[in-house]
Amino acid sequence: MIFLLLVTALGLPPGPPEGAPLSGQALEQRTHEVASLLRCPVCQGMSVADSPSTVALDMKQHVHELLARGYTEEQILSYFESSYGQFVRLKPRNPLVWILPVVVFLIGAVLVVVTLRRLSSPTTENRELRTDNPYLDRVRELVEKE
Amino acid sequence: MNRTVLIVGAAITLALVAVLFVGLGKDPAEIKSPLIGKPAPEFALKAVGTGQTIDIAALRGKPVVLNFWATWCVPCYQEHPVLVQNAQIIPNVQFIGVVFNDTEDKINAFLRERGSVYPTLLDEQGKTAIAYGVGGVPETYFLNRQGVIVAKFTGPMTTEILQSNVAKALQ
Repeated sequence: MIFLLLVTALGLPPGPPEGAPLSGQALEQRTHEVASLLRCPVCQGMSVADSPSTVALDMKQHVHELLARGYTEEQILSYFESSYGQFVRLKPRNPLVWILPVVVFLIGAVLVVVTLRRLSSPTTENRELRTDNPYLDRVRELVEKE
Repeated sequence: MNRTVLIVGAAITLALVAVLFVGLGKDPAEIKSPLIGKPAPEFALKAVGTGQTIDIAALRGKPVVLNFWATWCVPCYQEHPVLVQNAQIIPNVQFIGVVFNDTEDKINAFLRERGSVYPTLLDEQGKTAIAYGVGGVPETYFLNRQGVIVAKFTGPMTTEILQSNVAKALQ
């Protein structure tokens, strides 16, 4: 006899479902799509849809139930995010996560280029100190390089 | 200009090194949960053995140590005596075990063999575990008297770790 029952239906996103309840083939397909957007918390970079772990299977089943009740993709993702953190989203909501590394790389590249150019061209001070005598200018450049 | 470039470059390098060192200094077992500082998700589950329903909301007014575990989890074997011992010596704190992805028979056998001094609940569909953001087991949540999650620990706890987190729940 099974006398260990889940008594309350918890695990629902806040607020009423904002979509239409799904069933049949549409429900199965949508479950896979939404589960593909969730990161399996015990795997290395795998989605809930792809992972065979029991935690991922529980999460996928929960997605299935929520879609059947009419909860939308965003409601479901936000619900999982509220308990697991933004980590659980395979596609982070904040676009800065994608943009910032590129911006930092570009800044670094510009800094490298500017520095190399500065090092390979005579400095302003050097140009100001130039005389009419090319021999003296050459000697000064060599001394400053030392 | 050269000096500016050097200063900016040095600042970026220092910032990256600082981020690296801060990350290295963190204990990977102390995973920050978005639920910390928020009311614990509610649940009511039946206890293994007694069949008594335990409603987490009914425990308000008492700090709670909520331990998620399973019989197939090797570190849980190591942690179980620590929990049993501390549940007996720490007064006015309710210890609760929640088992998921497991069977009633295996849980009963585990508890018969290793002792049980506090309620153990079975989360059959894993919904409670999901509501708490449990990834693996063991994971332990510490609730204060108001039912707010004040700490989370991932991995098997020692007595020192458990008691330091209970102290947070008692504040």
